[in-house]
Amino acid sequence: MSSLSIQALTKCYAGAVAVQDIDLDVAEGEFVSLLGPSGCGKTTTLRCVAGLEIPTSGKILFGDRDVTRLLPERRFIGMVFQNYALFPHMTIRENIGFGLEMRGMRGSEAGKRISSVLDMVQLTGFEDRWPRQLSGGQQQRVALARALIVEPAVLLLDEPLANLDAKLRDEMRLFIRSLQERIGITTLYVTHDQAESMTMSDRIVVMFAGRIHQAGTPQDIYDRPATTAVAKFIGQANLIAGKVVHQCNGVATVDTPIGRLLCATKHAIEPGARTTAMVRPEAMRLVKECSTSALSGRIVERHFLGNIVDYRVATADGTILAVQALGSIVHEAGEVVSVQIDPEKAWLLE
Amino acid sequence: MTQASEIGVRRWLFAVPALSLVCLFVLIPYINIGIMSFRTPSTTAPYGPGFTVTNYVHILSDSLYLSLLAETLLFAIATTAVCLVLAFPVAFHLARTTSRWRGLLYAGVLSPLLTGVVIRCFGWIVLLANNGLVNQALGTFGVGPFQLMYNATGVTIALVHVFLPLMILPLMNAIQSVDPHLEEAARTLGASRMRVFQRVVLPLILPGLQSGVILVFVLAASAYVIPMLLGGGRVQTLPTVMVQQLMGGLLWPFGAALALVFSAAVLASVWAFALLGRRRMRRLA
Repeated sequence: MSSLSIQALTKCYAGAVAVQDIDLDVAEGEFVSLLGPSGCGKTTTLRCVAGLEIPTSGKILFGDRDVTRLLPERRFIGMVFQNYALFPHMTIRENIGFGLEMRGMRGSEAGKRISSVLDMVQLTGFEDRWPRQLSGGQQQRVALARALIVEPAVLLLDEPLANLDAKLRDEMRLFIRSLQERIGITTLYVTHDQAESMTMSDRIVVMFAGRIHQAGTPQDIYDRPATTAVAKFIGQANLIAGKVVHQCNGVATVDTPIGRLLCATKHAIEPGARTTAMVRPEAMRLVKECSTSALSGRIVERHFLGNIVDYRVATADGTILAVQALGSIVHEAGEVVSVQIDPEKAWLLE
Repeated sequence: MTQASEIGVRRWLFAVPALSLVCLFVLIPYINIGIMSFRTPSTTAPYGPGFTVTNYVHILSDSLYLSLLAETLLFAIATTAVCLVLAFPVAFHLARTTSRWRGLLYAGVLSPLLTGVVIRCFGWIVLLANNGLVNQALGTFGVGPFQLMYNATGVTIALVHVFLPLMILPLMNAIQSVDPHLEEAARTLGASRMRVFQRVVLPLILPGLQSGVILVFVLAASAYVIPMLLGGGRVQTLPTVMVQQLMGGLLWPFGAALALVFSAAVLASVWAFALLGRRRMRRLA
């Protein structure tokens, strides 16, 4: 096992840039997700780490071992594919034992290792079945066992849960995460599902159009997105354009069409600069109209989702705000309400 | 009549056109040849009176015919082997390429099948003759001339040329059905390209490989026009000798026996080959 370091990685295909100048360090035992829409370069990055693509430029290191030009079979990685990629002509035992066989390990020692990983993925007794006889979730666990049995330096997962149904996906999230924590293996996980990356990762790397927009803990990414694209991609966000009035102690006062907002911010912004304020729907509260409120609006839509209620509120200037409230329905569509914004939860984007 | 048996009868009705074709053009001629092969020879009629087994005794006791049979089968095996070696890279490339020239490549592969066999043979004669294009080209470098025609080399070249597409197409289909992720998964597990081919790709394309091999082997063994024209009478295979017996010698009963022995030998070869692959392919069921 080792740390993983990606340095100034660029990958071009026939003129088109898939990945542009990416730097990323993954600590030993860390679980890092590459998150982004399809075509953002996350899979290309993973494939470069696996050695299945040759980078146009840049370096990839496992610990201090430079693997940039190494063939995939020499890298000591474990990789799990979206469609599992189990060998259909081999039994579960042969599939899992393949990596050992390629390293010249056979016989009772290999048998012992196979039993122990099968136990680890809770598939003891499936040794002599064929992949086609297993359910999707079981196949995914076999793929995981096959990748882990060789005790790889890093574990690479390419949308491993995308083909599973929703309920199984939730189970497998927890399963993979707890297994990863137990073994303590350095893991790079590619997904387009933000909820998946939130629940599983130590850190999330959000990518758009071949570039990293932000790398940080799930809470960082959610509460303090670095760019508008990140704010929009992760969860719901109300983006309100405005002008900075003044700023002190990391709090900026911003004039917006819906009134004056207090926003947290990381960087210094000149008064007068045009910016965008982000407010998450759950950082706003609706209260029955009272005259003192600065911001009022009319509820135009209401969706009941069980544990939460989703409202759309139109303000006087026509801005539509998404507001989420926990619990049962309190307000009716058409009702005039005032909107209170939690100033600690408003965030100023660049 | 119950409903189930009624459906059964209807299902058979659909098979009637195909079955009658097989009866008319395969079964009846074979029965005819079978009967003919036990007839006595005659110089004035297709066959003489009475029945005999001497035709078979003659073939199976004469080392000339047995060695001819062995040579013909070896010829077919060699052609099949060369086709297999040449077809693999092309099939792989065609199966996996995303190039916009793919359609053109595909047409190129099929091109040998687009001209008639006689015309194709004359084309090869122009190329391969002692003063043909190949030897002229080699001559400018001071090499040759080589004997490329009227021998096994010329016949094999022409046979490989025409049967290559029949090997490439089933191989290509088989390779296309192998998920490239399987190869990548094997690579990440420590397998070199060679091991990936041997342990993952090859076992999965066996059915396609088998159909290509059988197709080319059977057609190469029974080829007549190519050995005739490019062999120029100096390359003898069982089919060419058989035609000599039938057309030249008018020995119809003997020719019929020869044809049946030949069919049986080819069938036995194919069966033996299929047996070889059966155990390995059972895993793909």
